[in-house]
Amino acid sequence: MASVLRSSILRHIRVPISGALTLNGSDLIAVRSMSSHGDDHLDKQEVISRVLDVVKSFPKVDPSKVTPDVHFQKDLGLDSLDNVEIVMAIEEEFKLEIPDKEADKINSCHLAIEYIHNHPMAG
Amino acid sequence: MASTLKYVRVPPNSANMEEARKRVFEFFKTACRSIPTIMDIYILDDVAKPSQLRSTVASEIRKNAHVTDPKVIDMLLIKATEELSNIVEHAKQRHHIIGQYVVGRQGLTQDLGIKDQGNSNFLNSFYSGNYF
Repeated sequence: MASVLRSSILRHIRVPISGALTLNGSDLIAVRSMSSHGDDHLDKQEVISRVLDVVKSFPKVDPSKVTPDVHFQKDLGLDSLDNVEIVMAIEEEFKLEIPDKEADKINSCHLAIEYIHNHPMAG
Repeated sequence: MASTLKYVRVPPNSANMEEARKRVFEFFKTACRSIPTIMDIYILDDVAKPSQLRSTVASEIRKNAHVTDPKVIDMLLIKATEELSNIVEHAKQRHHIIGQYVVGRQGLTQDLGIKDQGNSNFLNSFYSGNYF
């Protein structure tokens, strides 16, 4: 009995709070002052330099051959497992998780840079 | 994490090499995504870097790259998944991980290589196995 009373009173007390939250929420969406994922994607130059760093630091890769257009298997002489490893290294660098279908397509630096640049959550 | 270890509910039954190859890559990705957890559990921050561990996993996979039978690949994948589960659920200890996956690469394996270089092919295959 008391619990029923309590819950009904609480229900009434709680309504204004959720109202206040939605107000704050809409305010936040308008201002975006507290969003941790900014609405600007990463700067293209920064993406290019970070992706190239990841590829260059791969032990089997000759750093002097790495350009923004290099193809992993054809130009750098890596095999498919190395390709997957590079994609995983890129995932770690940019704190992403790339789904399998997309990851299979990433075969060159150019595609990797494109993908990261277009990804809204790249860190 | 989305693709951390899901226990294999359906035993892998690859029909052809393509499917087996896909499973291998899936396993490799799962292993790489578990690496931060592993480094956390066994406190490997001073001993190894994630990229080194990734390369180690890749070279372990590459050791069996010559296999042509999809069923053998399935069996190897089952063993690998079991090993990875053991590591992630802390069934091993730090010295196991360091000895098998960190030091092994530079310390022991390389030494063997240098010693064997001068020998003949016959002796190399003799040391490594029974069938040649």
